[in-house]
Amino acid sequence: MASLFKDPSKLSVYRDRRFSGTQEEFEAALLASLTVYVGNMSFYTTEEQAYELFTRAGEIKKIIMGLDKNTKTPCGFCFVLYYSREDAEDAVKYISGTMLDDRPIRVDFDWGFEEGRQWGRGRSGGQVRDEYRTDYDPGRGGYGKMVQKELEAQRELVDYGVGFQTNAPPQYDRADRKRGYSDRNDRDYQRRRSAPDMSRRAPDSDSRKDANQEPEKNPRFREKGDSDDEDDDYDKKRRR
Amino acid sequence: MSAGWRTLLLRIGDRCPEYGGSADHKEHIETCYTVLCREYEHSKDDIFEFLLQCAEQLPHKIPFFGVLIGLINLENEGFAKGIVDTAQANLQDALHNENRDRIRILLRFLSGLMCSKVISPDSIIETYETLLSSAATILDEEAGNPSWQPRADFYVYCVLASLPWGGSELFEQVPDELERVLVGIQSYISIRRHFDDIAFSVFETDEGDSPNKKDFMEDLWERIQVLSRNGWKVKSVPKPHLSFEAQLVVGKSHRFPPVSCPPPTFTLSASEILKGQEKHEADLKYPQRLRRLHIFPTNKAENMQPVDRFVVEEYILDVLLFFNGCRKECAFYLVSLPVPFRYEYLMAETIFSQLLLLPNPPFRPIYYTLVIIDLCKALPAAFPSVVVAAVHALFDRISNMDTECRTRLILWFSHHLSNFQFIWPWQEWASVKGLPKWAPQRVFVQEVLEREVRLSYFEKIKQSIEDATELEGLLPPKAGPNFRYHTDDSKESTEGHRLSKELVGMVRGRKTTRDIISWVEEQIVPANGAKFAIDVVSQTLLDIGSKSFTHLITVLERYGQIISKLCPDEEMQLLLMDEVSAYWKNSTQMTAIAIDRMMGYRLISNLAIVKWVFSPANVDQFHVSDRPWEILRNTVSKTYNRVSDLRKEIQTLRKSIQVAKEASAKASRELEEAKSVLEIVEGQPAPSETPGRLRRLQGFADRAKEEEVATEESLEAKEALLARGLEEGKELLRLLFKSFVDVLTERLPPISANGDVPNLRAGDQDVTFAAADPEVATMEIDNENGADNDSQLNGKKTKVGYSIGELEQWCLCTLGYLKSFSRQYATEIWSHIAMLDEEVFVGNIHPLIRKAAFSGLCRPISERV
Repeated sequence: MASLFKDPSKLSVYRDRRFSGTQEEFEAALLASLTVYVGNMSFYTTEEQAYELFTRAGEIKKIIMGLDKNTKTPCGFCFVLYYSREDAEDAVKYISGTMLDDRPIRVDFDWGFEEGRQWGRGRSGGQVRDEYRTDYDPGRGGYGKMVQKELEAQRELVDYGVGFQTNAPPQYDRADRKRGYSDRNDRDYQRRRSAPDMSRRAPDSDSRKDANQEPEKNPRFREKGDSDDEDDDYDKKRRR
Repeated sequence: MSAGWRTLLLRIGDRCPEYGGSADHKEHIETCYTVLCREYEHSKDDIFEFLLQCAEQLPHKIPFFGVLIGLINLENEGFAKGIVDTAQANLQDALHNENRDRIRILLRFLSGLMCSKVISPDSIIETYETLLSSAATILDEEAGNPSWQPRADFYVYCVLASLPWGGSELFEQVPDELERVLVGIQSYISIRRHFDDIAFSVFETDEGDSPNKKDFMEDLWERIQVLSRNGWKVKSVPKPHLSFEAQLVVGKSHRFPPVSCPPPTFTLSASEILKGQEKHEADLKYPQRLRRLHIFPTNKAENMQPVDRFVVEEYILDVLLFFNGCRKECAFYLVSLPVPFRYEYLMAETIFSQLLLLPNPPFRPIYYTLVIIDLCKALPAAFPSVVVAAVHALFDRISNMDTECRTRLILWFSHHLSNFQFIWPWQEWASVKGLPKWAPQRVFVQEVLEREVRLSYFEKIKQSIEDATELEGLLPPKAGPNFRYHTDDSKESTEGHRLSKELVGMVRGRKTTRDIISWVEEQIVPANGAKFAIDVVSQTLLDIGSKSFTHLITVLERYGQIISKLCPDEEMQLLLMDEVSAYWKNSTQMTAIAIDRMMGYRLISNLAIVKWVFSPANVDQFHVSDRPWEILRNTVSKTYNRVSDLRKEIQTLRKSIQVAKEASAKASRELEEAKSVLEIVEGQPAPSETPGRLRRLQGFADRAKEEEVATEESLEAKEALLARGLEEGKELLRLLFKSFVDVLTERLPPISANGDVPNLRAGDQDVTFAAADPEVATMEIDNENGADNDSQLNGKKTKVGYSIGELEQWCLCTLGYLKSFSRQYATEIWSHIAMLDEEVFVGNIHPLIRKAAFSGLCRPISERV
């Protein structure tokens, strides 16, 4: 309603580089889209949690979890598809910046989901932002991937003893909250999700390194008030 | 001065850097006016447009914009006259398009302009009188149409609502005329019908209507009368024009040209049904903006003049309206309204009244969740405690709260807490564990915990109530599937286990749906029967899809046909839902989602779902859990969502048909023209058109025609779908109401021999008595042991804290939902009211059922019994 304070040119600060059309086409896609992109989620947040929150803006058609392309585990983003444009608009207006699973999440219009967009685009398999982060974020696998590698390299030189833990991506077959994406029982699902990826990717050293990491005892640190200032970090990634 | 004139206009009156942090209104106006003068020559037209926009979208700053226009008027009469004329055109437009907010705000704008001598007072009086006489005409049986009283009320309301801004000047300058207007309003109030909004009140008052309660018109009228007795002094409206009076007084006042109101809508029919439909339409078009909710005791809330309360409410509602979607500004303006007193309690009451507004708030409830979160952050010292007090006050009265409002409150509260680390003084509510399991306070706590767990996870919420371990019993079960054919290596024996494992193997082996269907038909059905087949197949498929929402969708998309083959009719679909409910007995959310998706894939019909919800096992849950109601709400709303989506699509298609037709006509015309040119020049060596162009034109014409035909075909298809959807909606309503009537008739206490309607709340009287009873403490301990699994009516136990018996509570709750569904789907119900009258609301239907449904529809309970 209020047109006075809105800058209509700022539809979205983020321009998806994978979008093949022109800027105008991109904006037109955003204006008509029924899909929203949800960012800064915890790796632990389930589809059902997202469903409960996003259904408050309207009936949901589909949720597509963003997955780490190596581990096939959630890597902190998702797409929510609605049936109507107004519902998608309400999700952007009212849910962006509020908390889901104790984290401020970001909700933006998205130009539309396509097969392949569910995978993280970072070198290590997750989102790009998690490559370069230098902060410690327990909801997103601890330190950024680059810092983790650094720490590991150090560990090879110095023996830190028993207490040291790198912050490996959390395992999902833990009893308390089943994630299931990497569950071996679910071969059918696995194959469907991984097929397009494995065909074009040669195995690289990243995944082998991940496998070497020690399993973490309790990745789910949930201290009261551990809200991190995510917006800055997010923006950095977006500008990149 | 670095800020541009636009920013200065936007920020006028705000304590902000653009004005050097000063709060002096005079200084703001002078600064802004200086800059406007400097820019006037370059940007006259832009300033004109922008000022009007500001006045309409920042209505709480109207007095400032009024003074600015007044000052410009001193130098450039033409500019100000232009503003006046445009405002008149806009008002005229708004009256005819029934744009309520615009009408209301433009009338306030006129007052602002009048205060600054831009508009003459008598032309405002004239506008008021036009509105009043139109209102009076609408109420006239002969010349008007009393069904449209909501419009008449709205006009008079707008006049009254503008008086806090201009009353004092009108009183000074044209006292007799103002008096005439007030007399006119008085006589309007005396002839209008009192608006009985029992259907829309958040709290159910005691049995019977409350004749003394003032409706919104009578209330505002009284506030304005007090105002006039107090010499039209309003603290909450800034009067910046007073500082500029010496200058403004020489300004030329322009006449506000007369406006006309749209003529009353006539109907020739006198049928009761048509009148009801019409009144419903009018109510929808002119809904009440606010239903004041008194949450706090009077000694706690701010003490202010009646008119100030009204003005602050107007400010708050306008900020909520115009800053929807602009979080930062919305919170900023809410906390910095131009009033010289505190208003946190009033603000909380106003926002809660919107969240709980019936039948629907202007925006989605989640918007108010966001506003409350932002206010807690903007006023960290003041607002959170007000919210806590509001929650406690609402919680205390929850048993009288409207069912729909309870649901909204549960959704809001759980979401709110999820934004504040789930911190809440739960120990204060720990005692609800001792209440019978149908006590509304206990159900409220249980449902809030359920929603919290959905937004978070079990352990987290369990930890959040560690100060009130008693409440752990109210937590939902830890979510997880309950698979009947779970294979354990140690013991795997039954036929079901074997078949289930085989089915899993077939799915893993990517057998086609057809193969699996024939396997089911050959291996399971002949030996074990169809019911057993549903059991094994649905349990197994649910288990394969149990990992997440997406897994579920995938399984249903791939193997839904197997289920649909097994469940061709309602009876089998009911069994299927029993299986879903058994598999997901520990997760209400997944039960609801699974049923919702199965309806989406048309594996289950909406009628089957209604039947299932009204089946005995679920009916027993009606008063103790939201579980069946959530499923019912989903089903009804999904049915109507599809219909409204189809309506929208059809509208779009109609438009594109128009476009396609024009394009096709144009293409064939061009082709014909090109051809005809050729015909005339036949025989000559130089044809005007090359065959290539003709072929191209022919191609265009063909394609355009195809496009037109294709659009027409898809329109036809959609219209067929819509017709089917409408028919389904009608059947759904029929079944829904019949089911309500059946279960209620079975359980409602009968009317006494002398015709008295039973009072379901009769047991409620000794609640306060019980609280004062010293024995309560010991009795509560007794209760700890028994109340949980003891669902039998037990007078002794239920007396503690909550003394309405189980059966009575069940009736109150179910009647509440009946009312709530009737209100929510009033438009759909009104369009099938004849059918319902004939089949449902017949003869000796229990008066409480009729009352619940009719009050939801705002329909008078007619004499015919």
